[in-house]
Amino acid sequence: MPLCLGSITLSDDILPMNEALHSIAYKDSQGFITGHFTAMAGPCEVIIETSDQALADKVTKTVADEAWRIESTFSRYRTDNIIYRINNANGEAVEVDAETARLLDFADLCFQVSDGMFDITSGVLGKLWKFDGSSNIPAQSEIDKLLPKIGWDQVSWSNPKLQIPAGMALDFGGIGKEYAVDSAATLARAITDCPVLINFGGDIVATSAPISRQHWLIGIEPLALGQNKVPPKVALKHGGVATSGDSKRFLLHQGNVLSHVLNPKTGWPVADAPASVTVLASNCTQAGMLSTLAMLQGKDAEQFLTAQEVEHWIQRR
Amino acid sequence: MKKNLLLKSALATATMTLIAGAANAEEEQNKTAPASKEQAIGDWKFDAAFLFYSESDSRVSAIEPVFNANKRLDEDEYLNLKLTVDSLTGASPSGAVGSDQPLTFTRPSGNASYTVNANEHPLDDTFKDTRVALATNWTFPVSETTKAGLGANISKEYDYLSASVNGNISYDFNNRNSTLFAGLSYAFDSIDPVGGAPIAFGRMQPVGDPQNKLSGSQDKDTLDLLLGITQVIDRESLFQFNYSYSMSDGYHNDPYKVLSVLDDQGNYFDDGIPVANVLFESRPDERTKHGLFGRYKRFIDGDILDASYRYMTDDWEIDSHTVDLKYRFTLDNGDYWQPHVRYYTQTQADFYQPYLRQDQALPQFASADYRLAEYDAITVGLEYGMKTAAGNQWRFSLEMYNQTPTEPEKYGALQQQTLLPDWNAVMFRVNYSF
Repeated sequence: MPLCLGSITLSDDILPMNEALHSIAYKDSQGFITGHFTAMAGPCEVIIETSDQALADKVTKTVADEAWRIESTFSRYRTDNIIYRINNANGEAVEVDAETARLLDFADLCFQVSDGMFDITSGVLGKLWKFDGSSNIPAQSEIDKLLPKIGWDQVSWSNPKLQIPAGMALDFGGIGKEYAVDSAATLARAITDCPVLINFGGDIVATSAPISRQHWLIGIEPLALGQNKVPPKVALKHGGVATSGDSKRFLLHQGNVLSHVLNPKTGWPVADAPASVTVLASNCTQAGMLSTLAMLQGKDAEQFLTAQEVEHWIQRR
Repeated sequence: MKKNLLLKSALATATMTLIAGAANAEEEQNKTAPASKEQAIGDWKFDAAFLFYSESDSRVSAIEPVFNANKRLDEDEYLNLKLTVDSLTGASPSGAVGSDQPLTFTRPSGNASYTVNANEHPLDDTFKDTRVALATNWTFPVSETTKAGLGANISKEYDYLSASVNGNISYDFNNRNSTLFAGLSYAFDSIDPVGGAPIAFGRMQPVGDPQNKLSGSQDKDTLDLLLGITQVIDRESLFQFNYSYSMSDGYHNDPYKVLSVLDDQGNYFDDGIPVANVLFESRPDERTKHGLFGRYKRFIDGDILDASYRYMTDDWEIDSHTVDLKYRFTLDNGDYWQPHVRYYTQTQADFYQPYLRQDQALPQFASADYRLAEYDAITVGLEYGMKTAAGNQWRFSLEMYNQTPTEPEKYGALQQQTLLPDWNAVMFRVNYSF
């Protein structure tokens, strides 16, 4: 279920979204109506506890529109949005809108609290690292060429003006999807009091506990089919769940498995990172950031999340 | 990495700000009134406004440019400077009643006179003044949950000086869902009318006769107190409640307002003096007001409903009620239309009298000022707000005001006259924030 979630590799295989793909399919089962659509390079679903198809239609459309809106607003693959303007400003200051400003403020805070390990300028590394299960490691000289172009501390951000050095680029891949889930949930809450579960490729929010049962049950994708340890199902009443990591995205290097989570300071995958980290928090963005920061801790991921006193599940290879 | 719980709570706060950003930004915008665009520390923000005001029947018209500058000194610290210039011209009801004879009045300066035609409502057309006002305000955090403000204002007209200092403090509690507010202000006003302030109930004298005028300036002290609470009800709505208290002491008269002295037929009593028989008004030298104010604000799918009610009562026996409704329709591009309706009604002051009678004893206090009479007023308006590509904001607002006073009791010849005519005003305001 979780797709590719880390901050860096998310966008490797995203193609520009074709507007014609904006369609929604519905499924009705046991008092819940589920709407399916595709956004942010993955399957998305909205589960509403209702038998009112018109309501389900309205909620799902609103959620899907918000997903598509955020996707096109912050996609690195369009030439008509703020990310393009920022990344092609050639060192000039760009005045940003309020929503982008809030995301930048958030990214700034994440950079500060992670001592620079979470960095929205590190997306350029994705050009070098292809986590395809092979042992194709980029040359150190290639990495060294990119490192000067990484570092949020080289960016001047004074709301509403953002100035990044020419050659650097921003990528909201590490927070965009979680933010989209939360933002869509806010819109869904405004429409209905019925319990709604929103799932954008493994980033999940429940607006409230279901009425007909105790909680929502969220499955965590196992590392491999038929493995001995089956991950537990997560009981979610309300709040957000996010997963970082992807069992299918790794490289082999000198007999070790390299995770797809990259350290922006070295340009190399974080050593001993878990295969996946799932966190339950009060909203999806918070859950997503905690799971990303845990991945960046490598072998200390468990200790980190235990200290944060959040419910979490970690899978290692 | 900071492996402590602070990280989780920092993220919790930051994600709330991120997700609820749109709604909160709107609220913040209203709190720190002049600042509409998010402002970085050290940045100045400016508002320039231009108001045009015109009353019906060639009464007062005014143009008022306003310039506001706001500097964000620190995270929660702002310095605000506001300069207002008013330029007023036109005529204002003097308080005298009309007559079937032309009436001659001496101008307040005592140096000239003017004549009002028979059966016309007497207006004093000497109304011409320019006011310059400067206000400064400094808001700063005292602690995590407490903010304070200090301010000073000074306003100068040709014959009027007003200066005030104010301080306020607000305290957030209940997870910042509740805010308590207390404010205190002291104002000093001094008026020095051209030709001197008239003695209370002094007879208007012909041109060149300075008797019945006081020398020097007349002063007033005012103390205002405000206590309030703002309560966030849920994600979309908040409620605000205020109590206000105001006490003023000193010269409360309007030196340009008079009362007609009539005989038993309802005509001006002829005492042989060759200007209309009017006495300058006399008001108490103290006034205490109490006010209650409630406001409900709700966000509805990006639109904003803003409803408020105010009740005022004072020891001059003026009780008033104000109901104010605004609804902001937000368009897809972020522009908005905001219709506005306000209804106001007040009872008359206990010493309000439209005229005096020669055959009756003079009361202790009396004023024929239409602003102290019983009346209803309604304001309807429409505002359009738009943002430029650079994030600067234009606001255009047009408002119409209609005042309907209760016509006082009349007798004899007075029945031919309208003592308190209805009147209208139009206000047009342009505001640019950058």
